[in-house]
Amino acid sequence: MAINKDGNGYTFGFSIALVVVVGVILSTISIGLEPFKKANVAVKKKMDILSAIGVESTRKNGEELYEQYVEDSYVISAEGEVQEGLPKEKTAFYLDVQKQYRDKQIDKEDRLYPIFEAKKDGEKVFVLPVVGKGLWGPIWGYLAIADDYKTIKGASFDHKGETPGLGAEIKQDFFETQFKGAEISEDGSYNEILVVKSGGSESKQKVDGITGGTITSKGVEEMVNRTMKVYQKYFSKKQ
Amino acid sequence: MSEAAEDVKKPKEPLFSKKNKKLITDPLTDNNPITIQVLGICSALAITVQVEQAFWMSVSVIFVMVFGNLVVSLLRNLIPSRVRIIVQLVIVASLVIIVNELLQAFVPDVSEKLSVFVGLIITNCIIMGRFEAFAMSNKPFPSILDAVGNALGYAWILIVVALVREVFGSGKIWGFEIFGSNLPGEESGIYEMGYMNNNMMILPPMALIVVGIIIWIQRTRNKELVEEH
Amino acid sequence: MESTLDIFVKAIFSENMIFAYFLGMCSYLAVSKTVKTAVGLGAAVIFVLGITIPINYLLENFVLKEGALEWLNPAYGKSGDSTIDLSFLSFIMFIAVIASMVQLVEMLVEKFAPALYGALGIFLPLIAVNCSILGGSLFMQDRQYSTIGDATMFGIGSGIGWFLAIVAIAAIREKIRYSNVPPALRGLGITFIITGLMGIAFMSFMGIKYVDDKAEKVEKQEVKTTQVINVKTQK
Repeated sequence: MAINKDGNGYTFGFSIALVVVVGVILSTISIGLEPFKKANVAVKKKMDILSAIGVESTRKNGEELYEQYVEDSYVISAEGEVQEGLPKEKTAFYLDVQKQYRDKQIDKEDRLYPIFEAKKDGEKVFVLPVVGKGLWGPIWGYLAIADDYKTIKGASFDHKGETPGLGAEIKQDFFETQFKGAEISEDGSYNEILVVKSGGSESKQKVDGITGGTITSKGVEEMVNRTMKVYQKYFSKKQ
Repeated sequence: MSEAAEDVKKPKEPLFSKKNKKLITDPLTDNNPITIQVLGICSALAITVQVEQAFWMSVSVIFVMVFGNLVVSLLRNLIPSRVRIIVQLVIVASLVIIVNELLQAFVPDVSEKLSVFVGLIITNCIIMGRFEAFAMSNKPFPSILDAVGNALGYAWILIVVALVREVFGSGKIWGFEIFGSNLPGEESGIYEMGYMNNNMMILPPMALIVVGIIIWIQRTRNKELVEEH
Repeated sequence: MESTLDIFVKAIFSENMIFAYFLGMCSYLAVSKTVKTAVGLGAAVIFVLGITIPINYLLENFVLKEGALEWLNPAYGKSGDSTIDLSFLSFIMFIAVIASMVQLVEMLVEKFAPALYGALGIFLPLIAVNCSILGGSLFMQDRQYSTIGDATMFGIGSGIGWFLAIVAIAAIREKIRYSNVPPALRGLGITFIITGLMGIAFMSFMGIKYVDDKAEKVEKQEVKTTQVINVKTQK
C-alpha cells in the first residue's frame, strides 16, 4: 500500500474526515426532523389540556380539537394578576412551567402561571397546569376548574419515570376522576385537597391515593395544593 | 483491492452457507450475548417492565448493530489502528443519535418511555464487542449476519424477561389486560376470584432474578456451559 | 427543591446505579470475583464519575442546550433571533469527553502518582465503556440539576453507590465459593440472583428524605388526619 496507515498524517486526516462526515450527516438529520419533533411536543401538550376537560384526542386530531375547544389563554403572576405584553416564550402555550419550577434561579414570586379557557358543552372551563415531583422524577398534569371558579371538573396527570403499577398509576382514569367535584375554595379562602390511603375517603375533598405509591400520591397532593393556591388568588378576585 | 484478491483465492460461497447460518443461530442459544457472554446487560434490564418498551429497545439495538457492523466492516481497511476504539465509539454514537432522532420524530410516546436508555445503547458492550471481534476482520455480508444474530439473541432475552414481568406484574401483554380488569371495585376475570398482581415483578431487582432463572434453565439443559465458580 | 445532601444520599442508596438502574453491570459482573480488584475498579469509577459529570454539566449548559450559546452572541440565546440547539449532539459529546478524560486521567495518574497507577491503572481503560459513566451524564442532563455543585455531588454519590455495590457483591462471591450452589447456577446465575436480592434490600432505602420544609409540611398533614391515613410503608 502506498499510504502508511499508522502514520500521524493518515490518522489525523482520517479523524478529520470522520468528524466532518459525521457532523454533516447528524446535523442534516436533526434539522430535517426538527419540525416533526416540535410538532409532536406541541400536540402532546394540546392532548393533555384536552384530556383535563374530558375530551379524548389522538395525535392526529389533537390540533383540530384544541382549536375547537380552547378559546383563550393568558398568564397570571404569583399574586394572581393577569400579565400582559410578555415575549413569545412566556405566553401561556409556550411557557415551560416544568422548567420554571425546577430553575432555582427563578424566585417563587416570579413564577408565571398560565390559564387556558376552554368551552365545553356551552360551559366555560379553566384549564390549569400543575407541576411537581414524584418519587423518581417530575410529575405534571392539568386541572379543569368550572366557571363557578372553585369546583374541579377534571384532572389529568402524567409522569416521567414513576414505578409502573405503583406511582405510575396516577395517570389512570380511576385516580384522575376522583378529583372531580372537589372544591378549591370555601368562603373565599383556599380549601386543601388531601390524597389519602386507598379506601379511606368519603369526603369530596379527599382523594384515594395509590397503594404502594405513597410518595407519588403525596407529590400529586403537594403540587395540586401549591399551584391551586395561586390560581385561587386570581379566581377569588373574579368571584 | 485486497478484497478482490481474497475473492480470487477462495471459492465463492453460497449466500446462506452453513457457516453463515451458524452466524445467526449461534448467538441465539449457546453463545447468547446476554446469558453466556454477559454483555450488554446494563441497558437490557431497566426497560423490561413492559413488552412494548423491550420491543422498541430491541429494534433500536438491531438497527444500530446492523448498520454499525456494516459501516465498520466497510471501513475496516481504512481505520487507523491507533484510534480504532474512538472511531468505533463515534460510529455507534452517531447511529444512536440517528435512532434517537427517529424515535422522537415518529414514535414520540416510545421515545418518552425509553428516555435515557436509548443513549445507553452506545455503551452496550455487545455492540463494541462485535465491532472489535467480528466486523473489524470480516467482510460486510457476514458482518451483517453476525450483527443480526447477536442483536436477536439480545432481543429475545429482553422480550422474554419483559413478558414474564408484564404478565405477572401488571396482568397485561403490550398494555392489553389479559386477566380481566383489576380496578378497585370493578374487578373482573380472575381478579374477581381474588387473584392479585405481583407488584414485586415490576420492581427493578426482579429483572435480575428472572435473567438468573433463564441462565439456570439454559445451563441445566446444556451442561457444557456450567462454570466452575 | 431537593437539597444537595438529598441528591448525594439518594444517588448512593435509593437511586443506586446498580440496584436501581443496572448501569455498569458488565464490569460489575466481570470484575467482582475478588474484593481487591473490586475495590480498585470501584475507586476508579468514583474518580471518573466525579470528574466527567461536572465537565459534561458545563458542556451541557454552555454549549449544547437550547440557547446555551448565549454567551457567544445574544442572538443565539433562547429569546434571540437565531436560537442554536445542539442537544442532538449530546451523546457523542458526552462519550467523547468520557473517553478523553479517562485517557487523560490515566496519563496523569501514571506520571504523578505511580503508586495509585499501580492500583488503578489496569481498570481505567475499562471504564470508558462502563455504562454507569455515560448513564451518570445522561441522568444529569435529564434531571437538569440547577448548580454545578449539585451535579458534582450527584456524580460522586453515584460513584460511591457503585463502589458499595461492587465491593459487597465481591465479598459475597468470595464466600459463596464454599457453598453448595446447584451446578447450573454456579458463577453467573447465582450472581444475578444475589444482585437481585441485594437490590430488594436496597429498596428499603427508598423512602429516605433529607428533611426540608416541604417534608415537614407533609408530615404535619398526615398527623392531622390520622383517622384516615395509616402511613403505609413505601414500596
